[in-house]
Amino acid sequence: MNPKFAAYAHPDVLVDGDWLQAHLADPSIRIVESNEDVLLYDTGHLPGAVHIDWRGDLQDNTERDYVSPAGFAEVCSRNGISPETTVVFYGDKSNWWASYALWAFRLFGHTRVKLLDGGSAKWKADGRPFTREKPAFERTSYPVPALRHDADIRAFFEDTLVHSKSRKPLIDVRSAGEYRGEITHMPEYPQEGVLRGGHVPGARSVPWKMAANDDGTFKSFDELKKIYTENLGLQPSDDIIAYCRIGERSSHTWFVLTYLLGYDKVRNYDGSWTEWGNRVRAPIAKGEQPG
Amino acid sequence: MSAYPAALDDIVAFFDLLPEDDKRENLIAYADQSGLCAPKPGETFDLEDVRKDEECTDKVGVFLTVNPETRGVHVRVSLGPHVQTLTKAMTAILCKGLEGASPESIMEVPQDFVPKIVGGQLIRLRSQTVYYILTRIKSTAKVWLNRERAAAS
Repeated sequence: MNPKFAAYAHPDVLVDGDWLQAHLADPSIRIVESNEDVLLYDTGHLPGAVHIDWRGDLQDNTERDYVSPAGFAEVCSRNGISPETTVVFYGDKSNWWASYALWAFRLFGHTRVKLLDGGSAKWKADGRPFTREKPAFERTSYPVPALRHDADIRAFFEDTLVHSKSRKPLIDVRSAGEYRGEITHMPEYPQEGVLRGGHVPGARSVPWKMAANDDGTFKSFDELKKIYTENLGLQPSDDIIAYCRIGERSSHTWFVLTYLLGYDKVRNYDGSWTEWGNRVRAPIAKGEQPG
Repeated sequence: MSAYPAALDDIVAFFDLLPEDDKRENLIAYADQSGLCAPKPGETFDLEDVRKDEECTDKVGVFLTVNPETRGVHVRVSLGPHVQTLTKAMTAILCKGLEGASPESIMEVPQDFVPKIVGGQLIRLRSQTVYYILTRIKSTAKVWLNRERAAAS
């Protein structure tokens, strides 16, 4: 195991390139690529990796929600994933969408999940192999999950409003400019604006990028503890909600808080600012202070 | 009469008939060619515009020359390494599709060809940079036309 991982609360959930390269042909794992660049997988992916499109495969394409349990079972079945399969996620953008896909798998109760530290960029930087060959796995019969675990790891508008009013830990992982309300879109994505800028009152600003090194790998346990636990005064029993714009950056932070720092109650508010900032009469705070 | 220059019209017609999976495969093939769209060593242009805009994930350079006899445009595009694959594909398509077209006809090209090429599955909020390359080429053509008018007056 990578020595960096040993200090994390759940070190087995993170894998590095050495481990994954040694397990490329391991029949008990399934490597899943999930990206923002919708065609990136086709240009080259890890040998044996399948593509799960966060938008096309994991989201309901009519209503703003995730797929149904039956839809999730179909995604898994056609990719040869069973409940016993350990799914290893990786992708572009510092693993934003890989974290999002991993969180979505957890939403349906699939707990055998891992994330490749550094994602595809680190794999490439290390000179590891890519292929365009698309694997063919035998279809499985993934049982339709009895429910979606929304209550466990997903927060909705009402949950976040209660959190805000009772000043429970709320983490805004967007850029500082978005938090302050100076811009209503993510840097480099001007087409994704909302009607109002600012943050949820009471939310603390910890941009997701603070958790990552320049090469996309996660910072050490001690560094993460300083950023989140000490800086925010978080307690082990805290009920924490993280949000961004549509839940992908906050999935990254959810992963850090849940698996690397070991907080038991962390929820991702996937409606995030695209819901809050467009909602009539949702309270908003602006500026540097939580409000 | 098509709103697109002839070469682009051919490409649009080709893609429009393809099923989604084949569109994807052909887009990848075009994306693979995007490196060839960059200026060749020693090549000179009437206009060069290299910058990083907010709408795109990396720096994009547009290089344009107009043949004084035919008035046909020759455009080259350089792409930074973090540009999305769809954007790379569109770059190759436009460099081929607009080759030889007049600056005026380039200004008239509507954006509606993009969904015909890209298809329904791939058009989404986070792939809007697929429109960006056409915008940049048009912008450069407009500068060329403005300079031509200024020189004539």
